[in-house]
This record gives sequence, C-alpha cells and structure tokens, in this order.
Amino acid sequence: MVTKRQLGIIVVVLALLGVVGLIGVDLIGVGEWSGFGPLQQIGVGLGGMAIVVGVILILLGNRPA
Amino acid sequence: MSISRILKVLGVILSLLALLAYVGYLAVYIVYAVDLFHWPFDYDQGEGFELYDAILYARGEWPYKDNAVYPYYTSNYPPLFHLLIIPFLPIFGPRVVAGRVVSFVATLVTCGAVSAIVRRRAGGWFIPLVSGLAYLASPYVYQTGPLCRMHSMMVMFETLAVAFVAEFQHPRHGTRNLVLGLLMLLCAGYTKQMAVFTVAAALSYVSLRDVKKAVISGAALAAVAGVIFWLLNAATDGQWWVNTIQANANEFEYLQTLASARQWFELHTLFILLSFAYLIYELFLDRLSAYSLWFFFALGTGALSGKWGAGFNYFTTAIAAACVCSGLALGRLVSSRRLGIGDWRSLFTARGPRSAIRSLQSTIRNLKSAIRSLAIRRSVSVVRPILMVLVPLLYLWQAPRMLHLPTAGPVFGPVAEALGVGGAVTETDCMAYPYYDKMGYTQLGHLLTEDDYAAGEEILAYARTSDGPVFSEEAMFSLLIGEPVVTNPTQLRNLYLNGLLDTTDAVERVNRQEFGLIIFRARFYPDPVLQAVGQNYTTVERVCMNGFNYDILLPRRLLDGAQEQ
Repeated sequence: MVTKRQLGIIVVVLALLGVVGLIGVDLIGVGEWSGFGPLQQIGVGLGGMAIVVGVILILLGNRPA
Repeated sequence: MSISRILKVLGVILSLLALLAYVGYLAVYIVYAVDLFHWPFDYDQGEGFELYDAILYARGEWPYKDNAVYPYYTSNYPPLFHLLIIPFLPIFGPRVVAGRVVSFVATLVTCGAVSAIVRRRAGGWFIPLVSGLAYLASPYVYQTGPLCRMHSMMVMFETLAVAFVAEFQHPRHGTRNLVLGLLMLLCAGYTKQMAVFTVAAALSYVSLRDVKKAVISGAALAAVAGVIFWLLNAATDGQWWVNTIQANANEFEYLQTLASARQWFELHTLFILLSFAYLIYELFLDRLSAYSLWFFFALGTGALSGKWGAGFNYFTTAIAAACVCSGLALGRLVSSRRLGIGDWRSLFTARGPRSAIRSLQSTIRNLKSAIRSLAIRRSVSVVRPILMVLVPLLYLWQAPRMLHLPTAGPVFGPVAEALGVGGAVTETDCMAYPYYDKMGYTQLGHLLTEDDYAAGEEILAYARTSDGPVFSEEAMFSLLIGEPVVTNPTQLRNLYLNGLLDTTDAVERVNRQEFGLIIFRARFYPDPVLQAVGQNYTTVERVCMNGFNYDILLPRRLLDGAQEQ
C-alpha cells in the first residue's frame, strides 16, 4: 500500500524531472537559445503546481493514498 | 407545510424536469442515429475505410499493406473494432450501417456502465440515471457515437476496464475482477491506441493499493499485448508497425489542444468541476479511487487533440470519466454518512502546515463522530432537502450548456422554438442545415436531406459508369458499386510527411490516367499525387452532399476524345 507521503515524493520527483527536462531542452542546444516558448511555460507551470501538490501529500504523512 | 417538506416537493419536481432534459437528449441521439443508419455513404470521412477493414478481415485478408503498391490502401488502426463488425455483415451486407450499429450499441453500453458504477457506489436512482444519460447528452458523444468509427468502442472498453479494476480488492471476486479489467484494457488498446492513458490509470490505481499485484498485472498485460503486437507485425511483414505506430506520429499544434480543452470545459462545466473537486477531495482527504485517477489520466487523451487529424472526440474518454466522477461526487454529497464539512478555522490558528493539516484531520474526525449525534441529525434533516433541490438544479444548469437538436420538423421545430433556437441553422461549405449545436460550427450532428441522397446518387452514377478503377477520397462510393477501395488518403498523407511512402507507382498510374474517375473532398493526399492529378485530370462537376463539396474529376483522355468527336 502506497502512502500519501510516498505518492507525494513520486509526484515531486516526476515534476522536477519534467521541469528540468523542459528547461534542459534549450540548454542542451548551447547557442541556440530562442527564449522560453509558450509550451514550455505551460509545462513549467504545470510542473510547479505538481510540486506543490506533492509537497502537501508529503505533509499528509502515512495515510493511505 | 414545513420548509423541509416544501423543499422535498420542489426537489421532486426539479428532478423530474432534469430527467426530462436528459431523456430528451437521449431521444435526439436516437433520432440522429436512426437517420444515419439509413445513409449509405460516408457521413464522416473515414467511415468507409473502417467498414472496408472489416470486409478484408471477413475475407481472410490483412488490411495492413504496403502503401506504395496498388491499391495503396492500408488501415492505421488496431483490428478489434473491425473484427466486431464482421458478425453484422451477413445481416446488413457490406454496408456502413453495420459499423454504425456496433458503435451506437457501444455508446449505450457505456451509458449503462456509467449508471451502474454510480449506482453501485452512491446508491439511489436519480444521480446514477442522469450520470449515464449525461454521457449520451454530450455533443461530442452525440455527434460521433453512431458513426462507423472505433472511438466509442474504445471508450466502452475503457469504462468497463476501470469498473472491474476498481473492484480488484473485492473479498470474493477480486482476482476475477482484475483479470476482466486487464482483458478490457487489452481490448481497449487493440481498438484504438489512445487507450494507453486508461491503462496507466488502472495500473496506477492497483499500484496504490497493492504494488506486487500491480507489477504482476502490468507485466502480464505487457506480455500478452506484446505477443499480439509481435504476431501482427510478423504476419504483415512489418506493415503493422509502419501503419499503426509510425504513420500516427503527426504534427502537433498546442493551440489546437488549448482551444479544444476550452470548448470541452465550456460544454461540460458541471461534470468537469465536480470531477476535479472529487479528485482533490480524494487526493488530500480520502483515498484515491480508480475513477478519479481515470479522470486525471484521461486528460492526457484530451491533450492529444492537438495532433493533426485529431478532433474533439479525443475528449470522449474524459467525458465518460467525468460523468462517473461527478455522479460519485454528488452521491457522496447527498449521503448523510459522509457530510465531512470540516472546521477550517483551526487552519488559521495552527503553527505551520503540518500542524494545520493535523488540526484539519482531527476536526474532520470529530465532525464525523458528531454527525452521528442527534443534534447534527436535526440539521441534516434540513440539509438533505436542500441537496434534493440543489442536485437537480445543478443538472438543469448544465443541460443547456450542451444543447444540440434539429430545428425543423413537426416535433423538433416547436421544441427548438420553445428553447429559443427556433430557425437556427448550421452553415456548411455549400448548404445550411436546420440544426443547432452549442459547439457552434460542426460538420456532424445534422440530419440528412433529400438533396443529400440525390447528390449521393449523382456521384454514384459517375462511379458506376467509370471506365477504370475509382480513385475516391471516401470509400463508400467504391464499396457501393462492388469495387475495391483505392487509397486511404489521410494514411498516405501521414506516411508521406513522415518520409515513409514512395509515391512513384501511384503517380505513374495517375500520369497514365488509369483511373476512370477521381472523387475529391478535402484533397488530403501527398503533394506529388495531387500534382499528377492536376496535370492529368479535369474537374467536370462539383456536387454538394452532406455539406461538403465533392469534386468529380475525369481523365483528360476522355475529355480530349470527346472534344475531337
């Protein structure tokens, strides 16, 4: 059985990976920076919300998810 | 008469009105479906191709072929929907009504499954009934449900899968439910590939409750699906992989997704808001159910609506999930055992978030136990009648947001007038239909006219007198004259754009003017083919049928020959 804390950790990790990936897409192509596109902005925004959700879940402790 | 009694009477009246609204949508849906059953041609581009796949399977042939070779036809979808049409071919003949009936029945099964799920979990009859009817009331489901397309069948299997998986911990039938759920997921995936999101939802739910079972289930499902995948690919010399996976990697436009999502929200507001509320409630204050997880993952299916060739029906899974979750949310609300309103005041006196959350949890526990006391029961006796009024009011508020109906005729004319949309028409490329849809412009949903039937016969007359194979953008013109289908245009276009199609043979045949007739509607063909057609064929007539302009092209050899004479 997965707890809310464990689910929260999973959510935070996945969200961080997603945000890093979205930012890293531009950083990998050094010298080709064309700005933060709208799709990336949406992705980072959703990732941020997911991190907030994940943190709340972590604080909810060992209750079953 | 007490306030409580007045509210109860009012609640009954409003419930009957709400039921009337959603049963009304069911009636409109049945009228539309029956109208389509009589229509022998493609109503939506692609229907004839789905039927042709079924015909090929019935003959023992694979529809996954090399598109570079005449007749340049292949399927880009998995086989299950087409296989399920086969038993209906002896009844209806090789006619598109066979697939339409199958798809229509699938939507009815989904409606029933939604009602059954809500009834099982929430009890009562009103909310489960409206939850199921709400699925059919959706303009998206209405327009595409009776088409010979596999999407509705995929949603049916997804709904059944989630219903079974949700009960995988049943003390007596848990294993059976899990196996059936996995079987339904397999069926959904081999109906249409997009079911992968529901697979993710179902396995996520099992993971939350029993990680070991989730791993075993996921592995078993992957193994069976993988073996089937490998067998199909081997039997078709790799054409299965090319046509169902590679060809479907189309260009994506995120603005299209955002526009589709906005429309989806505007049309289904109540169901979506309640589903989100239910998801948030379960996520933070209760345990996540399979249904709220399904709703969450189904949003991913909707996100794919920005893909070229996708449409609003990509949100159909999310609509089914929303109908379930909204019904469960309202059912929980009206159940007196679960009035966990909570005392939020302690959140503001707590020291830090952990303390606040512990305060909230403690308050909820105290409130739940207080509800059992007589003092709370007295207030519940007022709250319940208020909810009896509120719930049907919410459904009545939602109902006009999905409004769609014909606006002419002895029945629908007066009804449309009463609803304030009398005389409204939907403008198409070449015709106006007496039909109103809250979506605004739509290519689907209107009833067909005598002019449409006459136009179809006119085009068919060209096909019957063609002195060579018919190169048609829609399959039914070929199938109705007993000829093989030549080309699946959107598939050719997708393959060409992905660098997976050699158009040499097709272009050479067009240059030799081997095709006695070409019928275009949207011209979704690879550019080299269109260029060759432009050089060798001439448009002799444009026929308006079902709101679309069909261009009839004849080879110049015929026209040059006629001029010489």
